[in-house]
Amino acid sequence: MTAPTLAREQFVSFAPHSAEEVSEKQLRVNIDESVTSPVVLYFLTGIFWLVLGSLAGLVAAVKFNLPDWLGSTPFLTFGRIRPVHLNAVMYGWASLAGAGMIVWLTGRLCRVAVQKTWALYFSVIVWNVGVLFGVVSLVFGYNQGMEWLEFPKPAGALIAVGFLFFAYSMISTFRKRQVEHLYVSLWYILASLLWFPILYVVANLGIYSGVTEAAMNWWFGHNALAVWFTPVGLAGAYYFIPKVIGRPIYSYYLGLLGFWAFALFYNWNGIHHLVGGPLPTWLVTVSIVASVMMFVPVMAVAVNHHLTTVGHFRMLKYSPTLRFVVFGSMSYTAVSLQGSIESLRSFSEVAHFTHYTIGHAHLGVYGFLSMILFGAVYYIMPRIAKWEWPYPRLIKLHFWMSAFGIALYVVAMNIGGWIQGTMMNNAALPFIASVNATKPYLWARSVGGSMMLIGHLAFAYQFLLIIYRSGPTRYVPAWFDLRSTAEKVEEKQAL
Amino acid sequence: MSLPIAIVIIVSFLVVGGALTLAGFVWAVQKKQFSVKQLNEGAKLIFDDDEPIGTPQDMVFKSSANDSPNPR
Repeated sequence: MTAPTLAREQFVSFAPHSAEEVSEKQLRVNIDESVTSPVVLYFLTGIFWLVLGSLAGLVAAVKFNLPDWLGSTPFLTFGRIRPVHLNAVMYGWASLAGAGMIVWLTGRLCRVAVQKTWALYFSVIVWNVGVLFGVVSLVFGYNQGMEWLEFPKPAGALIAVGFLFFAYSMISTFRKRQVEHLYVSLWYILASLLWFPILYVVANLGIYSGVTEAAMNWWFGHNALAVWFTPVGLAGAYYFIPKVIGRPIYSYYLGLLGFWAFALFYNWNGIHHLVGGPLPTWLVTVSIVASVMMFVPVMAVAVNHHLTTVGHFRMLKYSPTLRFVVFGSMSYTAVSLQGSIESLRSFSEVAHFTHYTIGHAHLGVYGFLSMILFGAVYYIMPRIAKWEWPYPRLIKLHFWMSAFGIALYVVAMNIGGWIQGTMMNNAALPFIASVNATKPYLWARSVGGSMMLIGHLAFAYQFLLIIYRSGPTRYVPAWFDLRSTAEKVEEKQAL
Repeated sequence: MSLPIAIVIIVSFLVVGGALTLAGFVWAVQKKQFSVKQLNEGAKLIFDDDEPIGTPQDMVFKSSANDSPNPR
């Protein structure tokens, strides 16, 4: 496949006014060029796992309503396909795409070409081999039996090695930084680089058993979101919202206050998953207190992002990146406040062990993190591929499928889960009554999941087009609704 | 492994995580990351003369002012 050639001026499209401006523009171009291949590899492989993981998730979801469907094929049974979904989207999509975004952001925020790129190539290969090995193991029924830690230990070890090489490159870049001040996104990135390896290695030590294993399991399960996915998502939001709007973050002081409150409280949250379990009461109570204290950093982020966007909401009509990232940021506020309330013992009495928790988890990993990652990919790729997104309508399809899909999913699971919990707490009702009552909501979940999968296919297709620099040549931004008014798009036959 | 020992291990890791975070905070204070000057300028770090404050940046191909939803 041959792509048409455009001069660099058409990509960077600037008219230099001074030597300094040329230098800053050139610096950005140099930084982007230093990471082009690794970032594309992180994104490409991440999107592969996204599509595979979504498909597996949809199969698992349909099985709730049609339990015999594909039941005679061992590797498609629920006990295998569900962990495939979970681990493919967690260690494949979210982690790899997050790593790609971090690589690009670190270069931009340190204002230096990314260092040790060989470590990134090694990282992305080893990481993917680890995920592939883990997924194949799950398909064949090898499972550690702990949620979020289903991969066999060799797979976990490969992923850990991949992460360490990725972190080595990022820290090397940080040490060569050409800026004195660390932007708030960089704080979140550095925190994730520090905390996640400790978390992942400790959780995989294999020295726990019984109740302690359960405690470690949920310390890890929640902290995977807390110290890896959340910092990644917030780093993206703190960069892309002000950058796209062209307005500095409303209160930088509040941004840093939010980060340090986040660092202080979030690490302690995981044990609230074991409310009512056989753990020392004080341990669970400490976790609940820390969960409620998360109101502080969450509100700091929510207020900051909202007040930064105020007065610029009309840009949501045009900008794909802003639309995805603002959706993600709003979801962060919603899921965090929901999580704090969910940790309370009185709330857990109903919501615990129901579909409510599944809805909550998806609001976090998808509504918050994935939507921000989608926005990041839409922002970053044209800059490193030097090619605009060919079809804004596909981006629009992706957004609405994802947004409506996750909204339907979360609402259905929250309502259905609450009904389920209420009925399970009623000793006069048979257990099967709670199962039957959730059936409509489970169908709604499958519909929501199907919509998300359609969005992912549109996203994956367009991603392939942009890395091959294929599709119509575009001389204007791939904004929504711009094409009809500008009439400056030169359509070329798709190559 | 008995339950108390395992809990001590888990809590130890929580404390280690907290200690590392505290060390990062001390480092930041020593490097004057929270000085008034740095805090006042920090938010502008993602902008430069070529991508200045006040200009939407969600574009590689900058269209003309007439096409822009946020004209300069």
